[in-house]
Amino acid sequence: MTDQSIKNQGFWLSEWAFPIFVATLCSGIFAGTHMYYVYHVGAFNDIAIVAMLEAGIKGGSYGAAAAFGASFLFARILEGPLVGILDIGGSLQTGIGIGVPALLLSAGITGPIENFGLSLIVGAICGLLIGLIIILIRRYTVAGANSTFGADVMMGAGNASGRYLGPLIVITAIMASIPVGIGATIGAAIFYAYKKPIAGGAIIGAMIMGALFPIQIV
Amino acid sequence: MGITLAIVLKSIIIGALVGFGVGAGAARMFHAPNVQGMGAFRTFGELNACEGDPISHFSFGLGFLFNAWASVVGAGALTQDVDHRIIPNWAAAALLWKNRDVTKTLHDPKKMAFAGAIVGIFVVTLLNSTASSVPASMQSVATQVLVPAANWLINPIMPIVFWIAAMDAGRRTGIWSTVLGGIGHLIMGNAVPGIVLGILIGKGVDDSGWNRITKTLVIAVVILYVLSGFFRGFDVNLLHSFYLDIPQWLIDLHAFFGSEVK
Repeated sequence: MTDQSIKNQGFWLSEWAFPIFVATLCSGIFAGTHMYYVYHVGAFNDIAIVAMLEAGIKGGSYGAAAAFGASFLFARILEGPLVGILDIGGSLQTGIGIGVPALLLSAGITGPIENFGLSLIVGAICGLLIGLIIILIRRYTVAGANSTFGADVMMGAGNASGRYLGPLIVITAIMASIPVGIGATIGAAIFYAYKKPIAGGAIIGAMIMGALFPIQIV
Repeated sequence: MGITLAIVLKSIIIGALVGFGVGAGAARMFHAPNVQGMGAFRTFGELNACEGDPISHFSFGLGFLFNAWASVVGAGALTQDVDHRIIPNWAAAALLWKNRDVTKTLHDPKKMAFAGAIVGIFVVTLLNSTASSVPASMQSVATQVLVPAANWLINPIMPIVFWIAAMDAGRRTGIWSTVLGGIGHLIMGNAVPGIVLGILIGKGVDDSGWNRITKTLVIAVVILYVLSGFFRGFDVNLLHSFYLDIPQWLIDLHAFFGSEVK
């Protein structure tokens, strides 16, 4: 894109548009947690992280979810303006989607999570604040810093750990039952042969075999 | 109002909001660091990897749609991939279908925002509304296979992978990450955030020395650890484990913030 056409769409690439985009995204993510709380579907996060929130909802402690979410939010808000890309997984999906609801629920505040309208508003406000903080940090730091703060290291580690999921699913499928294990193995092999991520094949294989030969619940 | 109808209507609103933000943020990533983007490094890399080819973008998103579907069926979790992979790649595919010029499509926040909103409505509604219509036997597969696999991934796989990456990134980064990771695992139950902070500090100091930014980082990390430790009751557990008495003022302080010391 030429510089000319960037300038022509002033709003969409401007600094102050950023908090608005964060606000809409956060509004949706927070409302997604409302969906999970009320209907048990639609939380914008991975199973393992949602499980921490579930532990709190089921009567346990919200501590894990709150601390995990808050620390991710904190780290990503610092990192975002420095590297120029705010990581929505850590900051918004885990921080706003899991951490903030866990903090509210542990304090006994259920309104913003039980009420759809309130959840949209609370999420939008959180997002607007985060967007503003990031733009402010950018103004005062990134101009003087000539470091990427190891973004390449984290990116590499993030990609590398994602690759473990496929083999892990095959192993847990084998531990669940023999038919499901066979299904996951075949599915993973087929996906690998067609150069797809093997996690997807393992899941589909496990589900097909699990539907035909249900896992006995001990 | 029926539950299904409520889920569909709410999903449409949520999908539009999320898709709008994700689309605009993803397009802005291509103008970083001059413009603040929003997404993830992996999203950025993956979008670049299939740049220009709508079929690649579409099939990449489709692969993760199956993962997300299995996950929402099993545990009600849409996975982070909806925002990281499915919406940005499908929005890109939709725009590139008509115009193969990425600079006028994928890199344009306005077009990506609206394409993202439409994709978001479709994907979120589809995933949320079909979750309840899936047989229980398949749901039990998802929970009994996917949940333990994901738990293993978060602990111990991710801490180990991040830890090794940090140790391979130089002596200073390795030391900071080992210390912050270890304490982080004690306090927060997972070492990854601590290791990430260790990498931030170690690499920051490697690149630019002990300046205002890196010093601020260290102070912020200390505050984060102290607050997390306190609110998770780690301070009390620590004293207990060393068979020390818990001072009354600490018990009072915890009571003030609403947590009870056993």
